[in-house]
Formats: sequence, structure tokens, C-alpha cells
Amino acid sequence: MAATAVNLASWSRLALVALVGLVLQVAVFDQIVVHGAHPDVLVLLAAAAGAVAGSARGATIGFVVGLVADLVLPTPYGLSALAFVLVGFAAGLVRTLPGDRDGRGVQVATCVAGGTAGTLLYAVLGDLLGQPGMLDRQGAVVVLVVTAGAFVLAAPCVGSLRWVMGAADRTLEGHPMPSGGSATR
Amino acid sequence: MLVLASITVLTLDYHGEVSRGIGHIRNGVRDALSPVQRGIAAALHPVGDVFAGAFHYGALQSENERLQQQIGRLRAGSAEQAFAARQADAVLALAHLPFVANIASAPAEVISAPTSNFQYTVELDRGTGAGVGPRMPVVSGAGLIGTVVEASSSTAMVRLVTDKASSIGVTFGTGRRSGSAIADGQGFGEPISIAEIAGPLPVTGQTVYTSGTDGGAYPAGLPVARVLSVSTSAGGLTATVTARPLVDLDTIRYVSVLEWLPQP
Repeated sequence: MAATAVNLASWSRLALVALVGLVLQVAVFDQIVVHGAHPDVLVLLAAAAGAVAGSARGATIGFVVGLVADLVLPTPYGLSALAFVLVGFAAGLVRTLPGDRDGRGVQVATCVAGGTAGTLLYAVLGDLLGQPGMLDRQGAVVVLVVTAGAFVLAAPCVGSLRWVMGAADRTLEGHPMPSGGSATR
Repeated sequence: MLVLASITVLTLDYHGEVSRGIGHIRNGVRDALSPVQRGIAAALHPVGDVFAGAFHYGALQSENERLQQQIGRLRAGSAEQAFAARQADAVLALAHLPFVANIASAPAEVISAPTSNFQYTVELDRGTGAGVGPRMPVVSGAGLIGTVVEASSSTAMVRLVTDKASSIGVTFGTGRRSGSAIADGQGFGEPISIAEIAGPLPVTGQTVYTSGTDGGAYPAGLPVARVLSVSTSAGGLTATVTARPLVDLDTIRYVSVLEWLPQP
């Protein structure tokens, strides 16, 4: 249960991070157009959520961030949410691998890979839903530009998500889940 | 479960009433964000120009050389152009082209580049509050840019003519040498494809105009694109025609929204 918990403090911080991400995306990153494509900070937030918080919480946060992203996109509402759920979940699977799962470098690398995979997934899902122009030559340019942007933006995204989940972890430290016996206090 | 929830949201978006509700929420968010967009767009336009210059330095250099040559040609032909302009005025007055003669327009500024990496739209700083609504054509001085697809009270989203969902009935030539076709967007950086040609083939350099006959989606006579290439198959049975939009869609800033709606 502890792995999926996102408490009120975390939700408040997540709302703030998603809002700031949305404003930055629309006002700044959408305007940095390179060969018809721009960086995407919101897919990176979903990937960072999985990298920092694991599969279950990554999927939950990905869903919320996806719904926020869909508010400003001309594509069907819910398309980003679906893609980001899967991105958050998949990025969280990295935490099940042996080794240093909490290292910032690993989380940033996971976030970059998640951003690339998420953009591809978004295009594939959009194509399946009949959206024109999702899987063509320009799609490759989009993936390249989003990936290049991810190298710059992944670290701040991971930092933001660590801050978001810090609230949850502190709560869990204050009220640790029992490791055995009855969960009833 | 979250995947199921996402699919449910997607399904609901295709449902009439729920979709309208989602549309209202999206419009509200766009209205809320538009002041920030305007402010940052105004501040970032010079920065954006620097970025554009850096990424397209080679293209800008050759563009500069081309423009210098063009200036020379234009100076040489100014007298001829004055005559042509008088002729054009006379023709316009005779033909009563609807977009020139009758249609009111609302000036607008582009405040955002495409919000989606996969669809070619721009956002304008005018919405339903200024009389701008869905399905209205958007033009600049050079020709058609696209169509309004969504509008909130203070912003409007325009689908550009190069978007893959864009399909425009066009015509070219005059008299017996005129033909009609469909101009389909092919995505960013790609020329428009001219297909389903009825009548003679257009020639390279010829301008294509909205025909006004594609279900009345556009008024007739709006300049759309200039024919870039015409090629036919070995047997001459099929033709491939491409055209370049008359407007540089990467740098548009000020536009006019024609207060014209397709006939029901």
C-alpha cells in the first residue's frame, strides 16, 4: 500500500508542479520550435514520476499530468493521459531492477528514455485513433527534438518529482507502515 | 485501472454532450493562459527570432541573396507593376471577389506556435468575444493560412493549410484553361499536394485559389499556394502536383480572420 500512496501534501505539490509545467510548456517550450517540433516537459514529468516514485505512483501521476496536458492540445481528450499512464508505469519498472535505483543519474536517464518512448507511444496511440500526421517522417524529427530537450529538462523534472514525493516520504517516515503483524494501530 | 480510466475519458470525448463540456473546460484553460501567453510571446518574439536565425542561418543567407535579386527585378518592373495593379483593381472591381468586397474581417495576432508536435495549428489572440468562431478562414496579406477549429472567448486555434487534416477545394487558370482540384496538407515543411485534378493540369508557378465549391468550406478566390512541381506518370494517366503555400507559415504574426461561415 505504501508504494501506491500519494498523500494530500504530495497532491498539493503535484498540482503546483503540473500547473507550472503547463504554463511553461504553453508559454515557453511551445515557442522553441526546431524543424517544426518543440520540447515536451509534460511527458518528462510523467516519466520522472515513474523513475522517482515507482510504477504504481508513476502511473497515477502520469494520468493526472496527462489530463492536464490534454487541456491545451487539439488531439482527443484522454490521449495524453493514456500515453502518460503507460510511460509512468514503464519508467517505474526501472526501480525493480537491481542496483542504485535512487541515484539521480539513473532517474534522469530513465526520464530521458521515458520521454522518448512516451512521444513514440503518443504518436502510435494517436495513429490508432485515426489522428492524421502522427506516424510520418516528421514524427522522427519530433522524437529527436523531444529527446534533445529531455537532456536539458530531465534533471529539473526529476528534481521536481523528488520534491513532490518528498512530502509523501516524510509522511511515511512520521507514520511508518508496520513491517509485520497487524496493520491496526 | 488507470488505463481503463484513460480509455473511458477518450471515449467520453467522442460523446456529443460530454465532448462539449470538455470543450468548455479546455476553452476556460486557454482563456486563463492567454494573458501569460501574450506577455511571454511579446517578450520572446525577439528571442524566437534569434533562435530561428541560428537554426536557419544558411537558409537565411540564400534567402537574402534571392531577395536582393528580387529587389532588382522589382525596381526594373515597377512601372509595369503599376499598370498591372490598375488592371488588377479593375478586375477585382468587376469580379467582386467576396473576400475583398464583402467579407468583414477581424485582425489578430499569433500568440502561440503549435501546441501539439503532431498537428500544425497556431493560436490567435482573438476569440468569440471579437466575433471569431470555428470554421472561419484566416488569411494574411499573401493568402490563406488556415481555418479556425476552436475558439474560446479570448483565443482561437487555427489549423494551418499544411496540416494533414487540411483539405481545400481549389481552382487554377482561367476560361478553358481552368481546372479544379483538392489541396491536401502534408505536414510540416512538406509542400501541399494537389490531387483529384479535373480539367487541364496546372503549370509550375501558377497560383491556386479556393474554389468555393468544396461544400462551401471557404469563400471563392482566396489565394492558397503556388504550384511547385508538376509531373506525370509514364503513361500520362496520373499526375503528381505539389504547391508551396503563399504565406510563410513559420513566421506569421499578424493575420485577419474572415467573418465568413460556410453555408449550411
